[in-house]
Amino acid sequence: MEIFLQLLINGLMLGGTFAIISIGLTLIFGIVRVVNFAHGEFLMIAMYGVYLMNLQFGLHPYVAMLPMFFLMFALGAVMQRYIIQPLLSASDEIQIFATVGVSTALMNAGLMVFGADVYSVDMSSAVVGTGMTSIGSLTINNGQLMTFIVSILLIGALDWFLKYTFLGRAIRATAQHRDAALLMGVDVKKIYIIAFGLGAGCLGLAGGLMAPQYPVFPTVGTFFVLTAFIIVVLGGLGSLHGAFLGALIIGVVDSLAGYYIAPDLKEVVYFSIFIAILIFRPTGLFGAGRGSE
Amino acid sequence: MNITQPQNYVSLLLLLLMLVFPVVAGSPFVYHIFILVFSYAALASAWNVVGGFAGQLSLGHAVYYGVGSYTATLLMINFGISPWIGMVAGALLASVISVFVSWPCFRLRGPFFALASIAVLEVVRLLVINQHGLTGGSAGLAVPLQQGVEWMVFRERWPYLVISFGLLSAALFVSWKIKNSRLGYYLIAVREREDAALAVGVNAVRVKLAAVIISAFLTSTVGSFHAMYFTFIEPGAVFSLELSIQIAMFALIGGLGTISGPVIGTVLVLPLAELARGWLGDFADGFHGFVYGVVLVIVVLTIPRGLVGQFGARVGALINRLPGYKEPETVQPSTSTLTHVQSETLGQPILVAEHLHKYFGGVHATNDVSLTLKEGEIIGVIGPNGAGKTTVFNQLSGFLKPTSGSVRIRTSYGEWVTPKSPAEFAKAGIGRTFQIVQPFADLSVRENIMIGAFMNTDDHVEARAIAAEVAQLTDLTDQLDKVARDLTVGGMKRLEMARALATRPRILLLDEVLAGLNPSDITKAIEIIRRIRDTGVSILMIEHIMQATMSLSDHVAVINSGSLLIEGEPEKVVKDPQVIEAYLGKEYSHA
Repeated sequence: MEIFLQLLINGLMLGGTFAIISIGLTLIFGIVRVVNFAHGEFLMIAMYGVYLMNLQFGLHPYVAMLPMFFLMFALGAVMQRYIIQPLLSASDEIQIFATVGVSTALMNAGLMVFGADVYSVDMSSAVVGTGMTSIGSLTINNGQLMTFIVSILLIGALDWFLKYTFLGRAIRATAQHRDAALLMGVDVKKIYIIAFGLGAGCLGLAGGLMAPQYPVFPTVGTFFVLTAFIIVVLGGLGSLHGAFLGALIIGVVDSLAGYYIAPDLKEVVYFSIFIAILIFRPTGLFGAGRGSE
Repeated sequence: MNITQPQNYVSLLLLLLMLVFPVVAGSPFVYHIFILVFSYAALASAWNVVGGFAGQLSLGHAVYYGVGSYTATLLMINFGISPWIGMVAGALLASVISVFVSWPCFRLRGPFFALASIAVLEVVRLLVINQHGLTGGSAGLAVPLQQGVEWMVFRERWPYLVISFGLLSAALFVSWKIKNSRLGYYLIAVREREDAALAVGVNAVRVKLAAVIISAFLTSTVGSFHAMYFTFIEPGAVFSLELSIQIAMFALIGGLGTISGPVIGTVLVLPLAELARGWLGDFADGFHGFVYGVVLVIVVLTIPRGLVGQFGARVGALINRLPGYKEPETVQPSTSTLTHVQSETLGQPILVAEHLHKYFGGVHATNDVSLTLKEGEIIGVIGPNGAGKTTVFNQLSGFLKPTSGSVRIRTSYGEWVTPKSPAEFAKAGIGRTFQIVQPFADLSVRENIMIGAFMNTDDHVEARAIAAEVAQLTDLTDQLDKVARDLTVGGMKRLEMARALATRPRILLLDEVLAGLNPSDITKAIEIIRRIRDTGVSILMIEHIMQATMSLSDHVAVINSGSLLIEGEPEKVVKDPQVIEAYLGKEYSHA
């Protein structure tokens, strides 16, 4: 029982990390309606960015993630403006190929610049984000706990922003019907740039929050992005709360399957869940999404 | 294939030139590059059958490649079976797997099909790693080095070149065959507009499965060959997303859905990246992937239809100036299809709908509608907007399944049948048009009609002849070579009718074919509908233009709020107080 509880906690904490990665992906899909296959490489860039800021200026990752948010926002905005925007009315295949192309180019650019080596942020002198907290015989990784808390706060903040600000309403209007929003005087192109920027910006935060636990390498994005896709489809594409719940579910599945089935088969378990969801419940577990048909 | 046509002999010459070049150059590196070019071009062509012709964007094709690699290698290691046999076994296995993988995924669109295919690839790769007793796990397997033709392992390079060229030729031949067959037309039809394809009797699932099976088979053979050429396989390399993306990319750069595109894409991009790898040494670690990514983005932004899609027509016209060019022969319109047959069953029921009910959640969209269409008759269906007329039509053509009630059709053999899918309805003799026109926009008018004609023939020439005949009947003869998207509204509506007619329907369902037409087009269309009826086709038409309904219909049925209000002779129906009320409100019912 104790093992089970510890596994459950590990799973939920892992879910927090998955959530912070998935929020941006679901945000971009929900509003711009583009599946960004380069999402993982954006994460890689954010992680390298945090690593470099730590190396050069000695910034704690939790501090570095703030400038990183804005840098990633800019990167996302540029991607939307110069690659996605010209293709908005193109067919699905073309949009997929565009983001896949960006993904391939960025991943290999990472390989060219940093090589295949694995780098970790040096946390030996840091106070926050390291170590464990014990509750009885159960332990929680402080860094993961921080990630978990921030992901809840981030969703709350985005929720508030989308519901109660003028810009947020304009974003939701655009998400629901591009042309109708356009007719109401919403600058749809600008909204899309902001939305894509926000989605990418979330990864800036993710890069900082993950730095204490995860090393960075050129293919780190691929490692996480497939999981993020699963989570986002599971929670219903475009749904923030769905993504959070999906992340917790996949986190727990990962943790339990890794222990009770086999460590190298846990991904098989959640990929199988993914395929089943796509086929049988394309709007996601909670029916909140846009559907994949 | 006509060898004296310039486009054909130029293509063949270029292919042969590619085969001869490395032999003349003689350097092992050049050999290696060309072996890679041929085999990757074969992979891209195979992928194009699914990704291009069928429009299903698979990013998991490495599954089939890997199955080919592992089957041939494992059979060789464990049973000493020649990889030639292993190649066939792997291809068959890949074909079977492709059915199980793709079938459930066909309902997924665009990015979701792509994501599902990636997920399947990951699952297979992880399972292969997991079963290390059999597969050698993530460390991979080395192919036993027994030289000789039967083991597909050679000291010299040229046999590999010949084999890879053979694989490419096979892939190209199959692509060419598909493109010029009924299957090719059907694949495009399903890709462009699945509903319109179903309406002319195309079994969309079967057509897509055929494409997937062919593609998996060809992909797997290259996988087997590569295992013998590289003499080493590992899950990370053969079941890789990177490989899947690469072959899809080559096809896109050359031009999706074209025959030469995948080859041209491979020839242009692959050597570039390989040479860069050679020149730049270690730095090139990420360089060729970077080049691939950047080229892909640039192509997508500048020439999304690929090189062949963008420039193919112009280059083709240039090549046609070479000696030997002959215009395609004009096909005489057939006369058999639509000639009036003196039917003995004229006036007897041909389509019977009984007590149809349809609920959409809480909405009772069709409420106890019964209709009987007699052979040779025209029934006009009228009713206010939103009354549920099209919903009834969709049930009569299989696009919606009634919640309760039945639709029966008398076939040409006199049996009564209840078809189950839109395609079966079409085969039973129902042709239909769509209220919102659904042309295959990028195909010519002729090709649009031919897709209808293919329901009864798989012969190209015959389909052309039927198209010519139907075009005469629908006043489209001088537009046959126009691309469908360039037609006027009236032209599109006539094309809808023409495509339905080409299936030789005995019952035609016309959904507002006159809406939005100008007066002269309306007169033209009324004349056409009359001509169609005179060929012995029974017609059920939804129409708001009363002038047409009154002059054409033998009977008029009025639908209001989902139920059948009244049915009878046109003059009687329009004077009925209930009908006036339905259209104008209660206060007018005494007017």
